[in-house]
Amino acid sequence: MSFHRRIRTIYGKELVDILRDRRTLIAMIVVPIVLYPLLMLGSIQAVSYQAESMEKERLVIGVLGQSQAEMLQRLIADDATAIKREAGQVDPSSEAAQDLPAPLDHFRLRAFITQERLEEAVRSRVIQLGVVFETEVWTGKIDWTSAIRLLPDYEDMRSAFAASQLNEMFERIGTRINADRKEGLGLPEAFDKPFEITITDLSTSSSILGQILPLILILMTITGAIYPAIDLTAGERERGTLESLMVSPVPVIDLIVGKFLVVTTVAIMGAALNLASVTATVYFGGFDKIIASTGGGIPIVTMIFILLCLIPFAVLMSAIMIAVCSFARTFKEAQNYVTPVILAVLIPGGIAALPATRLEGIMLVMPVGNMVLLARDFLLGATIPAVHIVMVLLSTTLYAGAAVALAANIFGKESVVFADAGSLRSSFSRKLVRPSDKPTVSMGLLVVAILFPVWFFVQSAFSPGLYEDVSGLLHATGWLMPVLFVIVPVFVLGYWKVDIRNTLSIRMPAARHLISAVLIGLSAWIPAHELNVLQQSVLGIPQAVIESAERLAETLRALPVGSVFVLIALIPAVCEELLFRGFLLSGLSSSARKWTAIVVSAAVFGVFHFFLFKFAVTAALGVLLGYVCWQSRSIVPAIIAHFLHNAIGAYSAVNPAWFQRIGIAAEAEWSHLPVHVLVIGGVVFLAGLLIFARESSGTEHSRGLESGVHLAGKRGVS
Amino acid sequence: MTVQMDMVVADRLVKVFPTPDGRGKRAVNGLSFRVREGQIYGLLGPNGAGKTTTLRMLSGLMAPTSGTARIGGYDVTTHVGDVKRVIGFLTANTGLYQRLTARELLVYFGQLHRMSADQAAARADHLIEWLGIGDFVNLRCGALSTGQKQRVNIARALVADPPILIMDEPTLGLDVLSNRIILEYIKRERDQGKTIILCTHYLDEAEDMCDQIGLLHDGKLIAEGDLESLRSLSGEERLSSIFLKLIHAEETVGAIVP
Repeated sequence: MSFHRRIRTIYGKELVDILRDRRTLIAMIVVPIVLYPLLMLGSIQAVSYQAESMEKERLVIGVLGQSQAEMLQRLIADDATAIKREAGQVDPSSEAAQDLPAPLDHFRLRAFITQERLEEAVRSRVIQLGVVFETEVWTGKIDWTSAIRLLPDYEDMRSAFAASQLNEMFERIGTRINADRKEGLGLPEAFDKPFEITITDLSTSSSILGQILPLILILMTITGAIYPAIDLTAGERERGTLESLMVSPVPVIDLIVGKFLVVTTVAIMGAALNLASVTATVYFGGFDKIIASTGGGIPIVTMIFILLCLIPFAVLMSAIMIAVCSFARTFKEAQNYVTPVILAVLIPGGIAALPATRLEGIMLVMPVGNMVLLARDFLLGATIPAVHIVMVLLSTTLYAGAAVALAANIFGKESVVFADAGSLRSSFSRKLVRPSDKPTVSMGLLVVAILFPVWFFVQSAFSPGLYEDVSGLLHATGWLMPVLFVIVPVFVLGYWKVDIRNTLSIRMPAARHLISAVLIGLSAWIPAHELNVLQQSVLGIPQAVIESAERLAETLRALPVGSVFVLIALIPAVCEELLFRGFLLSGLSSSARKWTAIVVSAAVFGVFHFFLFKFAVTAALGVLLGYVCWQSRSIVPAIIAHFLHNAIGAYSAVNPAWFQRIGIAAEAEWSHLPVHVLVIGGVVFLAGLLIFARESSGTEHSRGLESGVHLAGKRGVS
Repeated sequence: MTVQMDMVVADRLVKVFPTPDGRGKRAVNGLSFRVREGQIYGLLGPNGAGKTTTLRMLSGLMAPTSGTARIGGYDVTTHVGDVKRVIGFLTANTGLYQRLTARELLVYFGQLHRMSADQAAARADHLIEWLGIGDFVNLRCGALSTGQKQRVNIARALVADPPILIMDEPTLGLDVLSNRIILEYIKRERDQGKTIILCTHYLDEAEDMCDQIGLLHDGKLIAEGDLESLRSLSGEERLSSIFLKLIHAEETVGAIVP
């Protein structure tokens, strides 16, 4: 039975199983349909009720002594009279009538003997506000400023409200006095008004939605994913069905993929219902006028966009939840694991929800955070570069893939299935790890998934300013690459007692493989160049790509030739090969077939180069080098080919004259190569490939490695 | 005369479980035995003797700490997938998917064993008839009684019609009627050439069913043979007396196995 059919069988069964569960239905249907409208109605009513009650509440204002109380009383009364008079002058149905201030009523004054007592009364919230006249109040005197001190306690909402009301009132009075003074002096109206500033808020209805909705969506997808994820993993163990499932001849990865797809489906269905429920509440509850101040409501297109954004969210969340819950033996245990994960997920989500955060730099690859930002920018209608969308989706896929692989590695592990096989921690302690000859898929994908954002951070941290050359970046990446790409994986392998030499394919290759590696290394730039030209004729070349290529070439010309070869060719060739063709390809090959393993490792290799424009060419190169490594069973030919390829690329930048001599003009960098170069190079390239193609294919390879298992086992015993 | 091959070969199986003190607990300690095709092999022993752990290692659910076993010719340490294809495994206190009906469950496990939906359905119908579960086959498993559940469970283990059956306490907690149906079925399967490993605490049952018996104590085999040879070895008639005597002797003087 094929992989797809097995997955379909498992998917079908698990979906029926989970949808027949009353608890799923409650979480998925009853909660969104009943709870959200209630919550929304409730909270909005509570807010408006509070605002109303604050306005109605009688203010208690403290003053110093009886005379100041009378002074304040008079000012408030004058203001009320003035407002009434102004109201009489405007047409009550006009817009200006709505903007008229409300006079201060509902207040009571209380006199204090000393300012200390007054302040104490505000702090203890006996009164809401203190008002102190620090000078005499001469409203009629033209050269007099009356100093008034307001004493609120801003921690108290009502006190702050009182202060703003009093402040507005004094400003109103001040404006009237000003008008009288100007009239008395015969000054024009504009005398003390050099500017009239009006602020018009241009935000649309979706701005508010865009800020809040992504976070709501995370919560919704998490709530949708938690229950099925626990039920399908820890639930199997708790109900005793895991043992009979594990004894079926189905690879664990199939089970996990099937379960993961069910959790994703349920999460998306749940979130879609949530979304529909919120939309209905907003429309039928009349809240669209509150949310959409411009009156347009929420366009249906926006809702479809949100639903689309939900899918990668649900994929990532379900993968994480399945991975976390696979560690658990019981429902309770699973719930304990899930809680901190939710918090950890909400932190990047919260950072991303801050209005100032933008989808750029490290945020592009921040798990969860990048999705929140992408969803937000979609809702805000911002222009998002295609590269950013691809980056977000690819990195999310990588993280989800690593989580699923981890789940497949943990689910059905002895120590999870059987309580007597020791605690889970014991299965991670090094003492009990059995030596193995290759890493698992999950180890491979997990290490790479962790390295990915780190590597991205390194690149963006050292990326040069506008007018700097790129030598800083070259040196930083050159020296950090061995640490991240080689030392980290080697440490992981060593800790888990995985055979390092076998994993990284450190073997002496056959002489013919060395020769064909040189042939391929010398000629691979020709198909790479042609692929670039092809891509350019379809997609065009962004100006930024040309500029960065020129900048790189300038930097390289300024550096000593030795450094150029070390930084551009030697270090990347060794480190990238050990990570992608050694570590990752070995890990993938322990479960996946030959071409699946090669293509996946090549795609990850492409993603690590971060630029969409480079992706196709680097991924193709990754396929080529993966094939070379697989066929020769050694990392050495791949390193040689990679080194030569990069060296030629660097040399073409340092010394374009040499290339001109064989008929390749530097200015024609983005056009097809001359025919004689294509023919000669093509023959060399194909000759190199043919030598590898003649090697026996995948099955024999794995048999060869199996004998490696026995060797490793024997070594372990002796 | 056909040559009978050994369908199950356990070779110095050892399983050590980690313990907090770091010394580890030896649940199975150098266990070797063979089961020939078409026989019922009874693996008997007191609680904690290592029976269940042995069965789990034989079915590829647990990796042996050392030693190995071949099931139907496949090594349990290197060819777990093939091992799982040739066995039907019935575990003690297995749960069923409570929200699936018995028939859905049988078809699902048939499909997991790489049968098509039609094949699985046909096989399920056959088992439903033979095990007498037709009355409740369309009920959800959560609603079944203990005896009904166990019958469905046995049908589940048999759904792929595997040549080797490994059964841990198949009659645990069953009434006389269900008990009889199940034991008859196991015998019939043996008569059709299947190889069966049976663990049970009901010694009368073992006496009645098993062609060969292995007595397991502290993770080691202390006696092995057919009922007659065990009788002559111990001088006792009933299996329960043999069992008690041999285990007592083991605890006082050591192994009796030559």
